[in-house]
Order: sequence, then structure tokens, then C-alpha cells
Amino acid sequence: MPPLCCGYLSQYTNHHLVAFLLTFFSYVLLHASRKTFSNVKVSISAQWTPSTQIVNGSTFSPGETWEDNHLFADEKQATLFLGALDSIFLFSYAVGLYLSGVIGDRVNLRYVLCFGLCGSAAVGFVFGTLTEWLHIYNVYLYCGLWILNGLLQSAVWPCVVAVMGNWFGKTGRGFVFGLWSACASVGNILGAFLASSVLKYGYEYAFLVTSVVQFAGGVIVFFGLLTSPKEVGLCMESETGLSPVETDTDSHKPLMSDEEDGVEVYGARHQPPQQLDEPEEESLPAVGFFQAFCLPGVLPYSLSYACLKLVNYSFFFWLPFYLSSNFGWKEAEADRLSVWYDVGGIIGGTVQGLISDCMGKRAPVLALSLAVAMGALVGYSRSPNDQVINATLLALTGFFIGGPSNIISSAISADLGRQEALRGSQQALATVTGIVDGTGSMGAAGGQYLVSLIESKLGWMYVFYFFVVMTGGSIVFITPLLLNELRAMWRDRRALQHQL
Amino acid sequence: MKAGHIQLKSALLTLIFTACLYAGGEWTEPQVCSLCSGSVLNGTSVGEFCSSSAGRTLGRCCLRPDNTTGPERIIGLDLSNCSLTHVEDLHEASTAVIIDLSHNPIVNLSDTAFQGFIELNYLILPGDVDCPAGNTSWSKVELKEGNRLCEGQTNMCNQTGQLSMNCPENSLCAPYGPGFFECSCADDFHGYKCLREGEFPALQVFGPLGASAVVISFLLWVTQRHRDTADTASWLRLM
Repeated sequence: MPPLCCGYLSQYTNHHLVAFLLTFFSYVLLHASRKTFSNVKVSISAQWTPSTQIVNGSTFSPGETWEDNHLFADEKQATLFLGALDSIFLFSYAVGLYLSGVIGDRVNLRYVLCFGLCGSAAVGFVFGTLTEWLHIYNVYLYCGLWILNGLLQSAVWPCVVAVMGNWFGKTGRGFVFGLWSACASVGNILGAFLASSVLKYGYEYAFLVTSVVQFAGGVIVFFGLLTSPKEVGLCMESETGLSPVETDTDSHKPLMSDEEDGVEVYGARHQPPQQLDEPEEESLPAVGFFQAFCLPGVLPYSLSYACLKLVNYSFFFWLPFYLSSNFGWKEAEADRLSVWYDVGGIIGGTVQGLISDCMGKRAPVLALSLAVAMGALVGYSRSPNDQVINATLLALTGFFIGGPSNIISSAISADLGRQEALRGSQQALATVTGIVDGTGSMGAAGGQYLVSLIESKLGWMYVFYFFVVMTGGSIVFITPLLLNELRAMWRDRRALQHQL
Repeated sequence: MKAGHIQLKSALLTLIFTACLYAGGEWTEPQVCSLCSGSVLNGTSVGEFCSSSAGRTLGRCCLRPDNTTGPERIIGLDLSNCSLTHVEDLHEASTAVIIDLSHNPIVNLSDTAFQGFIELNYLILPGDVDCPAGNTSWSKVELKEGNRLCEGQTNMCNQTGQLSMNCPENSLCAPYGPGFFECSCADDFHGYKCLREGEFPALQVFGPLGASAVVISFLLWVTQRHRDTADTASWLRLM
């Protein structure tokens, strides 16, 4: 587990574990329902279209079984619409992230998180199950529901990162967040499993099961989640050594040293009786949206993440399609193989988070990883038609791209939302996370269109060149931060030498 | 005069039967039986078939209950000498075994006129009209006394009851009238395009799910959020 250089596990309580697991599984369930939608696309488009096979000039009988549904003339148009739904979702998700982060810092995180989970579960149920049971097939209804779903789902990510940021101090943040940010990949695997196990009863049951599970998750979060150690008065129990928050400031000051003594702004009803903090701190307002945008590091990391999430989500959406169209592998094989990208991302996020913890700097680790990623992308684009070699290259690419992507979206977002510039007195965690992930999702949404455009006009090889350029772009955006940190490291080393 | 007499009689019969059946509230007289005047005559093919199969004549139709209790179905339809030029909507008679359309100036026999006529075994047409769906759809086609006789439908499916090359996944091919086949969902499949298999075990899935959600919620609430009593506080320390 953690190396000797950072022996911080002992400071964690069962509350830390529960907070970790609850936030982890909240996002797992959310991503599982997203994955369900991608995995039932074939069934949905079959449901929306009449049978296209024509035998001897006539269509199949009886009509109610084969010809009755005419939402789209054929499956190609249905696929186009499903792609459009993906883009609509990503855009509304991005817009929602900007909003919900701001809300999350002003309202109790637990309520926002519960609302996001249960609300998007309900929308998913209406979208997939209710419309099918009532046989309402309407393009505008689907679009409206999916916009609503994007907005509701966006409430979850800023909240879970903010809760994690509250519980886990900077010292172990890289490692813990690296491990924790595997939640998206775990969600993909769970979603694929859930969808495939109930799909035979009809796609509406895939939606039903994931929605019900997600709703149950929301209820559990409502009853079980502590949004901050303050709620159980853990910060004050310094004699038990239970405060990661206090050790934080004493430890080697990483990226942006932070005080970590921000106080949740609670509604009066939910103020824990043990609250021992100075009352004047509690009344401090949450940070404004534009104020958060101007915090040091937020804009560079947001833009860098936009480039990176574009590449990352392109892999998420297009990889199975690329594998089956480029190498002629079966869809099931391609799906199975594409898991290796997620696996690489999980390991990459954890290992790189750990290294950045030990170094006390994040930007150099990211920059190095991204530079290697450019090479890995070129290497992957020239992968031979061999599943083992391809899977290995894929895991490597996932390690170097998915890793930094996970770190920026979780650990660095938490760093940025708790930095010194806020003087530890303002709620900015959810807002900053929303801005970083929202900008990233904007990039990802635009990227989905660009990838399909480049692929159709120039071919797959140029798609990979596009990925290389985007990865390069993400390095360019963090260069100022990289130079700052390298200079600081150099200064520290000089100072150390002088002391000796 | 004779025709008029029969017409009157049949009208009376129809009235009585309709009254009876309306009282039952289950059955209305098929309109196709009164598509033209007259009733099934004894000497005709339909009449002979009807008497040999113990059917009851009603206007131009021969009716017989499916089984002892079931409702009556049309098993024969005699529309000969009916001045029909177009044959389109006969679907009320889709259970007919024999249909006589001879002595009609038919110019257009719609392709789908006999779709779904699974039982149809004997079709009599004017001599200048071809058997529906072509000669290959019938096991025997002959010209007799100026009429065309189409006998015995050939099976459009390679083998009834087998997964056929003609039908999409999860469906079985079955005959569906001359020249037609039907793709009905195989054993356990149902729904649009036969995409659904079996019934969703709602209780087995949601029962444990709901129970575990309640248990986890309760446990977490007690251990995490509910910290008013000394009991839970000490329990917390133990954990």
C-alpha cells in the first residue's frame, strides 16, 4: 500500500472509509447508468425502427411485431440520433457542472448529491422504462429528458470530489484520489455487467435495474454520508491523532499548500451539535463563480483537462468501434479488449498520484506522463493485428492518458479548491471541481463530433494524430505551472544545500 | 321469384340470428356474408362442402363453431355471381377453407387480399384470373368449366416450426395465406421484433436490492449520522 515516505493510513477512521466508499459508489452507480445507455443502443435502435429486411418485395408479417414502430426509418438514422443524444448529454452535463458546483458550495453537499443521484435515476427510469411501457416514442421527449439527465448527473461529481476533499487531506490525496478515481472505470464495468445480464428481458429492464440501484444509492447516501469530518467533530480530536487536516499543514507543502480549515456552510438544522469552530468563520460566503475561475491554476488546469478529457472520452466512446472496424474483431471481443484502457487508467491514476504525493508536486508528474502518452498514442496507432500486443499497448496508453486525466479531475481539483489563495475560509471545492470538469466535458462534447468528422474525412490514423496534438495541447496549458513548480523545487534544493 | 324468396328467408334468418347473438353481446354478423344478395346454394362447391362439414349457412357464408363452445367462424364463402370487380377486404373470412369467387368480372385481385388465410384450401376464381401469389403458391392449379381452381397452399417456409432462413432472429416461420409467411416469436421470445426473452424476475431482483438498501441505510445512519446517545458513541470507538 502506501510507501514509507508517506505513512498516513493510520490517521484514517471508519468514517473516512465510509465516506470513501459512499462517494466512490455514488459515482460508480452514475457511470454504470451511463454505460448502460451505451450498451443498450443496439436494442433501442431496433425498438425504434421497423424491420428493414425485405423478403420477396414484402415486409414481415404480422405488422405489429415487425413493422409498427416508425420513429426512424432505419437503424442508421437511429444510430445518428443516439450519437446526437450523447453530444446533447455531454453539453448539458458540462453546463450543469458549472452550475452545480456553485450550488454544491452553498447547499449541504449531502442534499445535492442525493438529489442528483435520485433525480437522474428517476429521469433514467422515465427515459428507458416508462416510455417503453407506455409506447411513447418521441424524439423531443427523449432530447428533453436527456438534457435534464445531464443537468442532474452533473450535480454528483463536484459533490463527491468536495466530500473527498473534505475528508482526505493533501498529504495522501494523490494516492487516495488516484485509487478513488477508479470509480468511473469500475462503473463502466458494473454497468456493462448489469446491462448484459438483464438485456434479454428487454432494454427497459436494463434502465429499470440501473435506475433502481442508483436510486437506492441516493437513499443510502442520504442516510449515511458525512460530508466533512467537522460533522463528527473529528478535527477537534487531535489527541487521538485523527485529524488528517491538521497534519496537512505541517507536512511538506505540495503543489499549493493549503490550510484545509475551511468550514462547511450548513443549514441551521444540520449544524452538528459538536460544532466547535469559531462562529465567525461559518458565516463566510462561498466563492463566486468568476472568482473561482480566476483562482491560480484553475484556468490552466481546466483547459488542459479539456484537451485530455477529449482524448479520454474519445477512447470511451469510439474504442470498441475502432477495434471492430479496423481489425475486424467481433463486437464482444472489442468490448472486452477496451476494458484494458480502463485498467491502465486505474493503475496510472493510483501510481502517479502516489508519486506526486511523495514528490510534493503534481505538474511535473503530469507533464512527464503526458509526454510519454504522446509516444504511446503513436505506438498504439501502429499496433499490429494481435490482441495481446494491442491490449498491452492499450493498457500503457490508458496508464499515461487515463492516469493524468483521473488526477486532474479529482486530486488536482481538490487541491485547487482548497488552496492558500482562498485563505481557507471560503467554500470553493465544489465550484472549482465543477469548473474543471465542466470545461473538460465541453472539450469532450466537441471532441465527439470532431472525431467522427476526422474519421470520415481522413481516416483513423489522423484521429490518432489529432489525439497526439490534443495531448500536446494539454501539456502546453500546464507549462506555466510546471515552470513555477520546477523553479520552486530548484529553490528548495538550493536552500537545503545552503543549510547543509 | 325464387331468388327473392330465398333472400327474404335468409334476411329473416339473419335477423333472428343477429337478435340472438346481439343478446349474447359477443358476435355480430360478418358483413362479408351479405356482400351481395342470395345465399349459399346446395349444388355449389361451397354448399356441398358446408353440408359435408356440418356447417350452417348464413347469407353467402357457411359457418361452424370452432369447437363445441367456441364462437362460430366462417369456413366457406360463396361470392359467385356477385358482380365483384375488385376483391380487397375479405379479412372477416380469413378462417375460410373454401372461397368461391367465380362468375365475377374481377379485374383486380389485390396481392394482399388473401394474406392471413391460413386455412384456405380451395379457391375458385374466374378463368381469366390467376391464382393469388402465382401458381407456385398452390399445390394444384387447374382450369375447370371456365373457372380457375386453386387447391392446397404450398408452404412458404422451408419447414414449419423450424427456425427459418426467411425469418429474423428468435422467430419461427409459419404459413400465412397463399404466398405469405408469418414470423411469429419463438418459444420464450415475445415483444416487438421478438427481442425479449422470458419474464423479468422483478421480485428476485428488487426484493434483495430493497432489503439491502434499507439495511445499509439503517446501519450507516446508526454508525455515521446518529450520534446522540452515548451507546453509539462507544460503539463507534469500538469500531
